[in-house]
Amino acid sequence: MQGTTNTQQLKNLSLEQLGNVEVTTEFKEPTQVWNTPAAIYVLTGDDIRRSGVTSVPDALRLVPGVNVERVNGSRNWAVGIRGFGDQFSKYVLVLIDGRSIYTPLFGGVYWMIDNVMLEDIDRIEVIRGPGGTIWGEDAVNGVINIITKSSQETKGVLLSSGGGNVDQNTESLRWGGGSGNWNFRANMFGFVRSPEFHIDGQRPYDWSRLGQVGFRADRKVGHDEIQLSGDAYWGKFGDAQSISTYTPPALFISYAPTDASGGNLRGMWRRDLGNHSNLYLQGYWAHDHRIGSNFGEDRDVFDMDFLHRLPDSRWHQFSYGAGIRVSPSLLTQTVPTDKFVPASKTDAVYSGFVQDELRLAPGKFSLTIGSKFGHNVYTGFDYQPNGRLLWTPTPKQSLWASVSRAVRIPDRVDDDIQVDAFFENLPPPVFARITGNTNLRAERLVSYEEGYRTLIHPKLYLSIAGFHNDYHDLIAQGAGVISAVGAPFPNPSLLVTFQYTNGIHGNTDGVEIAPDWQPVNWWRIRAAYSYLHIHLADQNGFTDTTTLTTLHGSSPNSQVSLFSQIDLPGKVQLDQTFRFVGALPAQTVKAYITGDARAGWSPNKSWSFSAVGQNLLQPHHAEFNIDPSPMVLIKRGIYAKIVWTR
Amino acid sequence: MGVLCLSLGLLQAQAQFSDVEVKAAYLSHFGEYMSLSADVSGTKPASFDICVVGDDPIGPALAHIAVDEQLGGRPVRILLNKNAADARSCSIAYISASEGTRTERDLAALAGDDALTVSDAPAFLEHGGMIQFVLQENRVRFLVNLDAVYRTHVRLSAFLLRVAAMVRGKSQPGVAP
Repeated sequence: MQGTTNTQQLKNLSLEQLGNVEVTTEFKEPTQVWNTPAAIYVLTGDDIRRSGVTSVPDALRLVPGVNVERVNGSRNWAVGIRGFGDQFSKYVLVLIDGRSIYTPLFGGVYWMIDNVMLEDIDRIEVIRGPGGTIWGEDAVNGVINIITKSSQETKGVLLSSGGGNVDQNTESLRWGGGSGNWNFRANMFGFVRSPEFHIDGQRPYDWSRLGQVGFRADRKVGHDEIQLSGDAYWGKFGDAQSISTYTPPALFISYAPTDASGGNLRGMWRRDLGNHSNLYLQGYWAHDHRIGSNFGEDRDVFDMDFLHRLPDSRWHQFSYGAGIRVSPSLLTQTVPTDKFVPASKTDAVYSGFVQDELRLAPGKFSLTIGSKFGHNVYTGFDYQPNGRLLWTPTPKQSLWASVSRAVRIPDRVDDDIQVDAFFENLPPPVFARITGNTNLRAERLVSYEEGYRTLIHPKLYLSIAGFHNDYHDLIAQGAGVISAVGAPFPNPSLLVTFQYTNGIHGNTDGVEIAPDWQPVNWWRIRAAYSYLHIHLADQNGFTDTTTLTTLHGSSPNSQVSLFSQIDLPGKVQLDQTFRFVGALPAQTVKAYITGDARAGWSPNKSWSFSAVGQNLLQPHHAEFNIDPSPMVLIKRGIYAKIVWTR
Repeated sequence: MGVLCLSLGLLQAQAQFSDVEVKAAYLSHFGEYMSLSADVSGTKPASFDICVVGDDPIGPALAHIAVDEQLGGRPVRILLNKNAADARSCSIAYISASEGTRTERDLAALAGDDALTVSDAPAFLEHGGMIQFVLQENRVRFLVNLDAVYRTHVRLSAFLLRVAAMVRGKSQPGVAP
């Protein structure tokens, strides 16, 4: 239907008129996805805006293979990739502009304090599977890379203001400018959030509020690129913790809120040496302070990373790098029953990597092999080799396969924790103690993955990924050992001690299918189906089944998400997401389906209005269980937002 | 049959053009809004050449739309599948997005020559390109990097800059009307 006359018509239009012609485009997945021999999914800043989410973990619900559970309104999210999500989000490495927000305290991520202003996010790249070779010991099940826009792209003023029944107040302000070769921006944002749903009689303790300021500066001249950035935050989070006392032997709930504050400074330098060769150097310092009812922590992280990519030859490209992370921490004891021994400790991790990408048939077939090497204070030396194959038989299809080994090193909770809890008064009073183990080995994973991507049709793209993960030495709670005890326990008392041990092995299998379809110009639908099968067992004469039951029943067997974006005339957008999450029997959480909807209107370049409804299909539903009971349910919410830019 | 085509045409009236065709139309017009600064040396080339570096669908669209065109008394020629080095004498060098990581090298090869560099590759301006096509709400718009323009003798009309979705870089006095 597009014949000669149509194109000639375009010739007669002025420049301005050309800018108003509506076009159809051939579907293009960004090349970085196409050529990556890994299960990668990219959420753009626009996807995040149109999904109506108010936090990064909520945005991750749309990514295949990622499990996200909101525990309550103020506590950490449970985020897992291909299983094992728990309130520590332990098996996932999360980076913000190359800065790891992993905390060596519990070997996971504190989503509540590492916030990014959503309007600053350029994209989030999620790689399911071990990213061991470049990123480190913590990237066992996957890597989440949050990349913010450069200062060039955020010039001018942006003011965003929103409010609703759950996200009660969210404000953001950003100003960006440039001078000479420098571009920079400063921002501040904050939110006040209400508690989620509580059954009658339970205090609505999980409110939260946070304020953050930050800046970023970029300089790009010739072959050099420099980035500087920093943030500072202050937050207060309502909480409920079960705390025990020795005398009298009792268990009570403390509602003391948690105060958290901190900041970071980061500097990055990259030099392009020509012929695809470059040098990269990044350093950052982060300081985090928190104090709550059951413990307090002050932690500093000093990190330096270096990467050198050697010049491209026709057949291969070699890169290598090294990194150091030193993290001194001080745990503050706030109640007699919870402590870390020792209270003060410095973690140091040294790592290096080498990698070679071999172009066996340039443009068609490539093999990447490499390994990361590391040394840490808990388990000594480790190695994480990995091999990846990529085959692009036609411009519209690519296949990849990989084998990788990854390790997760124990954290301070695994090693040094000691928590005493009053259990019952038989008589005599019985206490339970969870204790760390300084002799833990690292948890290990060997992952076999494969994937296929194809452009079935200019408007339909499909990506499929499958995996088989073999785990060994997973840390589990050991069987209870009964003993009599003296002070500070009342006399007489019984103590049952549970120590962490490397006790579980087994495997997980799964597949993720994600189509991306644009049936007409103004409607785009993305879906993601994730299937996970967990088969774990005790190893080495280890017999306790507590952790085994928890691991089996805390990740959904299957998960489906749907994201629809509709562009209506008059600059109106209608966006909907639906999600089905399978049951979590160990958390007493039933399977659920719920959805969000957003209506947005941008009458001109400066103004944008939107109204968003979240968790709409039920008044409230359960996602994850934590102590103390009863479980907090996630409630239906709506909010409206206005954004002004200049 | 004609009636059927017409009604189908009306149904498709919303979007009958591809982004490639609109970009080709822009390119064919840019020549009217650019000139060379007074201090340029050498003689003007006999034809106004629009060159496409790399393999790109815009090539055929350009060949179609710019057939028999004239610009300031000179014939317009469309030259396809050029190397960056060969494109140095062109008036407009369109660098295909398929050049990917070779883009910076291509721009380096064209540095110092008076070719207007255009592309739809992402981050083209960051790499030193002059005009970058972007898609905004299913419409093709363009961004201008004046710093890159002023490193050569190319000058862009104020009218073109006004229509651009974004202009970056220092503007200097004496822009051609």
